[in-house]
Amino acid sequence: MERVEAASRVNKASRAVVIAAFWGRLACFALLCFAALSYAVYALTPKFEYGICGMVNLYRQKRNTVDALVLGTSLAYSGVNTNVLWAEYGIAAYDLCGAEQTYWNSYYYLAEALKTQTPKVILLDAKASTYQQDYTKRGRTILNSFGILSPVTRARAIAAGTPPGDALGYILAFPQIHANYATVSASDFTFPPGGIPAHWKGFIGADEREEHRRPSLVWTDTEKKINGRQLDYLNRILDLAASRGIPVMVACFPNPDYAADHMYYNALRRVTAERGADFVNFNEPSMRGGLLYTTDFADWQHMNIKGSVTFSRLLGETLLDMYALPDRRGAAGYASYDECLAMWIEEWPDYASLLRL
Amino acid sequence: MSVLSFEFLVFLAATVAVYYALPLRFRWIGLLAASLAFYAAAGWQGLAYMLCAAGVTWLGAIAAGKGNKWLPAAALTLVFGAFVFVKYYDAASAWLNGILPSSGKEPLIPELRLIAPLGLSYFTLQSAGYVVDARRGKLQPERNPLRYLLFVSFFPQMTQGPISEWKRLAPLLASPPRFEPITFVAGAQLMLWGYFKKLVIADRIAPFTIAAASADQPGWLVLLGAALFAVRLYADFSGGMDVIRGAAGLFGIDMADNFNRPFFSSSVAEYWRRWHISLGAWFRAYMFFPLTVSRAGVAVGRAGRKLLGKKAGRALPGAAATVVIFLFVGLWHAASWNAALYGLYFGLTLGCATLLEPAFKRLRRGLGVHVESRPPRWFGIVRTLSIVLTAQYFAFTATPAEAFSLMGATVTRFGFTTFTQAGAALAAIINPMEWIILVISLAILFAVDFMDEKGADVSKRLASAPVFFRWPALIALILATLVFGCYGEGFDMAAFIYTQF
Repeated sequence: MERVEAASRVNKASRAVVIAAFWGRLACFALLCFAALSYAVYALTPKFEYGICGMVNLYRQKRNTVDALVLGTSLAYSGVNTNVLWAEYGIAAYDLCGAEQTYWNSYYYLAEALKTQTPKVILLDAKASTYQQDYTKRGRTILNSFGILSPVTRARAIAAGTPPGDALGYILAFPQIHANYATVSASDFTFPPGGIPAHWKGFIGADEREEHRRPSLVWTDTEKKINGRQLDYLNRILDLAASRGIPVMVACFPNPDYAADHMYYNALRRVTAERGADFVNFNEPSMRGGLLYTTDFADWQHMNIKGSVTFSRLLGETLLDMYALPDRRGAAGYASYDECLAMWIEEWPDYASLLRL
Repeated sequence: MSVLSFEFLVFLAATVAVYYALPLRFRWIGLLAASLAFYAAAGWQGLAYMLCAAGVTWLGAIAAGKGNKWLPAAALTLVFGAFVFVKYYDAASAWLNGILPSSGKEPLIPELRLIAPLGLSYFTLQSAGYVVDARRGKLQPERNPLRYLLFVSFFPQMTQGPISEWKRLAPLLASPPRFEPITFVAGAQLMLWGYFKKLVIADRIAPFTIAAASADQPGWLVLLGAALFAVRLYADFSGGMDVIRGAAGLFGIDMADNFNRPFFSSSVAEYWRRWHISLGAWFRAYMFFPLTVSRAGVAVGRAGRKLLGKKAGRALPGAAATVVIFLFVGLWHAASWNAALYGLYFGLTLGCATLLEPAFKRLRRGLGVHVESRPPRWFGIVRTLSIVLTAQYFAFTATPAEAFSLMGATVTRFGFTTFTQAGAALAAIINPMEWIILVISLAILFAVDFMDEKGADVSKRLASAPVFFRWPALIALILATLVFGCYGEGFDMAAFIYTQF
């Protein structure tokens, strides 16, 4: 009897070992699977500079080396030329922007950026206040969230930008991007995405020229209602910045199509004033700073490279006036800004001659 | 909740976790709760219907166990009556309204737009079989209604079968085995293979078969469409069964196989023994034998012997029953003329084969042909595939006129000119990269099935292969399914075809 009981105990113990070993193997397999699937998601993710690369590259910046963090849409990344800000004023700026970046996108980008950076000012694009949709378009959701490496922040950013019920597909990633297998190339499998060097600061120049006229409008104080969700996330951005003691400048970037935005910006001006944030409208005649609508725009909304040089000069002066940002040129830890400038000069020697060095 | 959805996988994982956390004797309760929750997720009306049908058949079987004749018959009449009404009423009313003269705007027979509960066909046949077996004394009726309810509603099989027998499934549900890593892994592996077949192959073919079923297409393309439709059904149905059997395997429950590589059949009869095995078995057990030994069947046999002689006459009741059964099988698939013709076509083919079998036997003997030798077997496979291919014209079109028109087009205007032009025509429907993926996936599917057919049991071999081979193979399969599967953005993922039956 005792022998039978002993044998049963041995059997139970050996079964426990077999089961434990099985779960151990399964865990190892799950880890390998997770690694393989994550890499596949990386390879399949479209690596556009405007959105994904900008965010991924921010993680590669040295800690606490960004003084002016620019959040916003294509108007921001094509208009705020970080090379001009650095070359002429020594302002260490980074364009953390994405195409049609909404305020919920900006909020989560900011949350992620503040994990490694302590900017002295946040420059927030006003354009999102004109967006009336409650959620982000499909492609833009991918652009403005898939660069976030923290799975929790990324999931939150996705949930904020997609209708209820749609978020899961983006969070799992495969349902949304797996069809990209038709377009992947060898470079999609390598890091960094798009082969972008770490010293790049997010500026994307538009080398086109389209002739426009100055915006013609009646400068009224009439307001158009800002979308409720945009407003909610604008307030969250302001709250987050205030909690870290970082001032926010809400900037209306110049664009020939300004007349369509004016009344939204009137509402935005009031809201930012109520919250104690700064508001600067670079479309006002007194703020255009020599920008020529005939030669300085790439299309109906975006400044071209020449326009970005002119505008960024004006922006640099404004930032220095309002926030007394330090001149970091020659300071230890900021060499990447010099490298970025050198790269830009090499790429655009004609425009580099416009710099006042 | 679709078996293809992420929600299903989460539901399955949660159920598996709860199931194994429960003591052995309570596990069936966990499965029952999960099954009812799964059913309820598809709509409370369906759940109510299924509960009523289960209640009626449970009572009918209990009465049958006590020797009562009438209550089981009433129970069967009730569940089959409800089944026929829900499944065929709208199709029949639409047809009748089309041929009957109408006085006003309102149709003569109102359309009710009934939505069939999930798994209607499957649980109706399964519970009816249970009542008949109880009546025949083949089983002891279950006293506990909840245990019977689990047998009827076991959630993996709800979507597309198999139609299980009480004797096989009930003991497994009532006293499931302990957790066994090998069974668990085999289940997960089978599910993965099923998803691959469904998402990568079946759904990739779908747009082509839809485009090919058009009178505007040349005959060769229609023929290719019909052939690929058969492959699509094969991948869809066998994939679905693998997912279901794999899911059941996670609970340690070994469900009967419903699909056994039918394209390797050397006769149509064998084909139907390998295709939807449980449906064929159900019709054989509960319709074929009763029909052949019924008064009508005996009378047909007697008349046949007079007309056709002793041997053929003896086969006549079986042949006639086969035609009737296949008509039902066709109509079971859908309430349409095409489905009826599909069934009738197979029924007549098999009926003729039964009647002519003595003549074929004599012919084979005369020619000295051995059925089991390789050339006749391959000849049989090609012949069977040709017959099955012809049937697809009824399966991938909506009306008989369309089916016959496409058959005509295949013969009269084949239209194949050059491979370059054919390639361009194919690329116009599905882009070349998709064709490449399809051809590679089909090659993998065929290779695996071929090896299985030769008795290699690829799944078992993979399970016992060294880790450095097994893990990369499984990860590759997971990646291939997730990356090349037709789901999510940019694809129109179709439900499993057999779910709609």
